[in-house]
Amino acid sequence: MSLLVFFLQTKKGKIQRVSKKYMKAYWTVAKNTWSEVLAYRASFILFRVRELLQLFSTYFIWYFVTSENRVFFGYTQATMLTYVIVGAFVNDVIFSTRTTAIASEINEGNLSNFLVKPFSYLQYHFWRDFGDKAMNIIFSICELTVFFFLLHPPFIFQHNFLLIFLFVLSLLFGLILYFFISILISFIGFWSNEGWGPRFIFYQTVGFFSGALFPLDILPKSLYSLFQFSPFTYLTYFPTKLYLGELSQKEIFQGFLLMGIWIIVMNRIAIFVWKKGLKTYTAQGR
Amino acid sequence: MAVIVTDHLSKHYQVHKKEPGFIGSIKSLFSRKYETVKAVDDVSFSINEGEVVGFIGPNGAGKTTTLKCLSGLLYPTKGKVSVLDFIPFNRKSAFLKQISLVMGQKNQLWWDLPAMDTFLLNKEIYQIPTGQFEKVLGDLSDRLGVKDILHIPVRKLSLGQRMKMELIASLLHSPKVLFLDEPTIGLDVVMQKTIRAFLKEYNQAYNATIILTSHYMGDVEALCKRVIVINFGKILYDGLLSDLVREHAPYKIIKIILSEKIDEKKLPEFGETRSYSYPEWEVRIKHENANEIASKILKQFPVEDITIEDPQMEDVIAGFFSANKKG
Repeated sequence: MSLLVFFLQTKKGKIQRVSKKYMKAYWTVAKNTWSEVLAYRASFILFRVRELLQLFSTYFIWYFVTSENRVFFGYTQATMLTYVIVGAFVNDVIFSTRTTAIASEINEGNLSNFLVKPFSYLQYHFWRDFGDKAMNIIFSICELTVFFFLLHPPFIFQHNFLLIFLFVLSLLFGLILYFFISILISFIGFWSNEGWGPRFIFYQTVGFFSGALFPLDILPKSLYSLFQFSPFTYLTYFPTKLYLGELSQKEIFQGFLLMGIWIIVMNRIAIFVWKKGLKTYTAQGR
Repeated sequence: MAVIVTDHLSKHYQVHKKEPGFIGSIKSLFSRKYETVKAVDDVSFSINEGEVVGFIGPNGAGKTTTLKCLSGLLYPTKGKVSVLDFIPFNRKSAFLKQISLVMGQKNQLWWDLPAMDTFLLNKEIYQIPTGQFEKVLGDLSDRLGVKDILHIPVRKLSLGQRMKMELIASLLHSPKVLFLDEPTIGLDVVMQKTIRAFLKEYNQAYNATIILTSHYMGDVEALCKRVIVINFGKILYDGLLSDLVREHAPYKIIKIILSEKIDEKKLPEFGETRSYSYPEWEVRIKHENANEIASKILKQFPVEDITIEDPQMEDVIAGFFSANKKG
């Protein structure tokens, strides 16, 4: 946890350790976000229903494609359906975020309320996401339980504890990486009032390149090896394949290394853009 | 002791000009024309601890821009600003812990949660010890009479209740310097009075320095001895409110209700008649001979009721601005 804090706390370009005193404030942010979700129970549940419907549709497509013991690009029915189910869970952990609100907070000038407080706005959003994700994970687990109960899918349970540990670690890396990418998209708000257009394109791009729709290794080899260098691969495909135990040691090592590099790169870009953005914000005032 | 000092403060904006319509939008993609707007232009003043100063000026005069420079939200184009011996724009924690900015049109409260949740978050942000937090919160919510609605979601509160909560959220850390931008905007008269009385009490109880901008002259009259009048980014007047009135509105208004019709030709003798429609007659007279003229009127005419009033602040300020037009 201190790693996250480490990355987010920057002052005048220098990275500082966050003091314990401030942890309480961030914890309160997470708690408040949690209660906020509960304030809109109906829309949150409808959002979850949408996610569940999506899981159902992807599940059944692959169910029929791989039925009658057909092996599809090296995927048996069990591995493919496990990929779909674990992938859905991974998406819930990594992609649930409140950082989409940053753009409008900038545009409407509510950012000012944060700037006049002795408090880091980026940390604030990170901990908001923490609260939001916690809620999504709980719902995701409940839904999957119901899903298993109804459909009895051919699911591969991973028994290797090391792999499970690495899987959890990759989720943590993935959500940090996605946080920086997502705030970068929102920072468009510093220069434009139309942040939603780019964000929709971004969603489509991520959906395709992350492997949320299909496992990336069914693509032609040359394309697939190129994809390994994109940050999006690490948002769904990498953690899910880790869980399945289908990656070699070398692939696992390389994956974590590239993920780490992407986190540092995105972190630096995000902080750089944030500072540039603040400069224009404080030059114009809103 | 001077708490706030600005020295030749200027803030200029680059505003890009766009011709109207779709063609204009396309054109502006390729060649943008910029214009410099001097929102604040060479402004110097100094404010002492415990003072309550009103910023007066029409829309776009530069009041909010000045407040934003003072609270560290805007980087000044030219000149120096010092608040509590800090340079605001550096936004040091030690500085931010001692100030507060309340913007009537923006809220910091979490919309879907009770105000209490925002307060608790602010407690952690400003690192207020629990004992002090409870004492200050108790005190503030008592004064504003909101004790029983602290646990109701903000979205269910009325505008006035919300504004009170905003004020509490901004004052929990007992700021030494308070910037208020239109704190009573959109509130009804009773609520305006409550907020004014509260701010006055706060100023006295905590010896806080307050700068206030408002369109309601009532706010300024009730709270500020000293006013700074700005327009087009420049200071037009800095001094006591009472002096401003005496200098720029050296008259009183006599309102008379007549019991019988009178000869209208006689009216101009007494002063400038502002309106006459029987039985009401309103006349503007010089400040110094108010009593004399009033007694004359009482002697000569059948008067049912007579009052002598000070000029309306709104009129004074409007008169002041029209006398100081740009150019």
